[in-house]
Amino acid sequence: MKRTIAVLCMGLALAGFVFAGGSKDAAKDGKVTVKLGIYPEDTLAGDIALHAGYIKEMAAAYPNVTIQPAQYRYATDTFVSLAESGQLPTIFESWFTEPQKLIAGGFVKDITAEVKAAGLDKKMSPAILSLLSKDGKIYGLPRDGYALGLMMNVDLFKKAGLVDKDGVPLYPKTWDELAKTAQIIKAKTGAAGLCLLAKDNAGGWHYTNIAWGFGATFVTQKGGKWVAQLNSAESKAALQYIKDLKWKYDVLTADPTNEDWGTGFRAIGTGAAAMYIGAGDAVSQPTQTNGLPVTSLAMAPVPAGPKGQFSLSGGTPYMFANNATNEEVKAAIEYLGIMGRLPVVTDKTIAGLNADAANRKNEGIPVIPPFPAWTDAAYLKAQLDANEAHKNIDMKLYKDYFSKISEKGNLRSEEPMNAQDLYAELTKCLQAVVTDKNADVTALLDKAQKNFQTILDTTANKK
Amino acid sequence: MSTAVSALSIKKSPLSVFLQKNLSGWMMLLPSVILFSFFMWVPLFESIQLSLYKAQGMRFVQFVGLQNYFDVFAHPDFMPAIVNTFMYTFWSLIIGFLVPVITAILINEVRKGKSLFKIGIYLPNIVPGMAMILMWSFIFKPGDTGILNILLKFMGIPSQAWLTNPEWTIPLIVLTLTWKGAGATALLYIAGLQGIDPELYEAAIIDGAGIWRRIRHITLPNIYNLARTMFVLQIIAVFQILYEPLVLTNGGPNNASISIMQLVFRYAFQQFDYPKAAAVSVIISLILAVLTALSFKLNKVQDM
Repeated sequence: MKRTIAVLCMGLALAGFVFAGGSKDAAKDGKVTVKLGIYPEDTLAGDIALHAGYIKEMAAAYPNVTIQPAQYRYATDTFVSLAESGQLPTIFESWFTEPQKLIAGGFVKDITAEVKAAGLDKKMSPAILSLLSKDGKIYGLPRDGYALGLMMNVDLFKKAGLVDKDGVPLYPKTWDELAKTAQIIKAKTGAAGLCLLAKDNAGGWHYTNIAWGFGATFVTQKGGKWVAQLNSAESKAALQYIKDLKWKYDVLTADPTNEDWGTGFRAIGTGAAAMYIGAGDAVSQPTQTNGLPVTSLAMAPVPAGPKGQFSLSGGTPYMFANNATNEEVKAAIEYLGIMGRLPVVTDKTIAGLNADAANRKNEGIPVIPPFPAWTDAAYLKAQLDANEAHKNIDMKLYKDYFSKISEKGNLRSEEPMNAQDLYAELTKCLQAVVTDKNADVTALLDKAQKNFQTILDTTANKK
Repeated sequence: MSTAVSALSIKKSPLSVFLQKNLSGWMMLLPSVILFSFFMWVPLFESIQLSLYKAQGMRFVQFVGLQNYFDVFAHPDFMPAIVNTFMYTFWSLIIGFLVPVITAILINEVRKGKSLFKIGIYLPNIVPGMAMILMWSFIFKPGDTGILNILLKFMGIPSQAWLTNPEWTIPLIVLTLTWKGAGATALLYIAGLQGIDPELYEAAIIDGAGIWRRIRHITLPNIYNLARTMFVLQIIAVFQILYEPLVLTNGGPNNASISIMQLVFRYAFQQFDYPKAAAVSVIISLILAVLTALSFKLNKVQDM
């Protein structure tokens, strides 16, 4: 009997170890805690100092609010586990592709009431508002928008003799010109002319922008059904152009099928490639992240194709955890105000905008105007003033990019349905034409057309 | 005293006899039973259940029967992924199955420095998987900066496309798998070889058997059972190949190396569509169960 009891105790103790752990939250009493997912990463000392200032100000203005740094970089492989276990930070940044998916999954909070109370919905650009809403409810706020352009490594253009007397690159205005410019750069510097992405969906994403210039439109709605048109003559011309970049002009990096969003910026930043399709909100990537001197980066509009010129545009949203309380959301929005991210002009936001611009200058990031996610004129002016005060580049390097994207009809949102699946199909075609000299463009696009229509029929057209 | 105790236990009910006999065993097992149910069995049944539902995140919304399976079958990447996965398995058996057997026999024949060779073949196995993949990606890099291409240049051979050549992608990925995994398997075979009674070899030598006949008639029959197990384990392991193609090629070029596990990964971690991910996982387990049963059945026929 004694032995049995001893064994019993031992077993229970072992089982106890298994279940050990677990904690309980302290009770709350009118206090609000905001877990700040948008807090900078540990290595960014400048940005952390910046937030320390914001937190101090927040504490002075709202003594009942505690700001708790909970740095989170959105990633699809960690997100659902965090959300389902209730561990998401109160506020976090996501990507332009995600809001609708996150809303559909019930992972993010409806913040319509808070947004309307602050009058923010009226100051948001309509395209971005629709990106962040579903069924009339609002689920996020824009950090900023973006429009794709052509990023250039100025040093390589200089080396190739392709700059004007002010040192501004003589950038290619059409895709044909781009192929020729790229050839000159490759011949004179040895660097690749263009970094084309073909590793993952980012390849298809960039490629849509190229194909629009050739006159392609990939998804349309006919009689209530979504219809794919990947194998149009225009689409074929665009894919043939990519094939020529590889086999006729030979101006791409060694292995486009291994280039993704991040390696593209590395290629530009380290001078491995002279041109790359990138957005104005990512100028910190080649410079701060990859060490390119701030004056060696320039941006031009995306080159035009035979059927026009477009710039793909979207935005980076702030979103809020589904289990956040209304008070927490409100406090998080106040914090955005202190950061100068809301379209309200007060001394505090002006200070926030200035601190942000000063930080970019310190960190070697080009201080360029943001892409307008808000439509409030006073706020836009305050943004420009803050940038002007901390200028660190010659705006000539970006002039044409900004003037082009403010032209009417230039901006174009992503294809409206199953964009990620579309990109996946297009990326496969890109991979085929850059790896196989004898790839059959028509056959590839016919197959992609069939595949993508199947996906549309089993998802979007089924509801 | 001892007779008194046994007299007492005879009077006890069968239940208490069972308890007295087995309770301590069960109590010792309890933690692992709990761990197993928590980490293996419950998730297993839940994913089967999940595959029959529509879900929001991981919360069940609505029972949809086999709809997720139909949707998965209709996906354009499903068939290429299935075919590729069989190709991975096929190539891994062609390239990888005999390598450890041969290595083991060679090392077993070595007279001096056996441990050195054993450590040597095992070393690749302790390289972290991701580091190994990145290393091979430098080796296979196309263009003039890839390690293999630099070597080829010294020999006057033009640069090759390596992984970006769709015909080579799967065999090359299998090559990296073999490089990493063969050593560990070879150690098992060496252990098996050392268990063979040396007298058998002595007798064979006396009878005038050469090295080939000794391998054919003594070594191979003695490691046959082990090899059979390794065969099944290898199929199961390679069938679930994920991160090697994911990192080296992301399933490309043009789906040439996409594996069925990568579909699970995409459904779960890119589209947040867990029911479909679960459906693909169930399909994988079914295929593996069938393959395993088949291979045991075939082997049994051979045994007779």
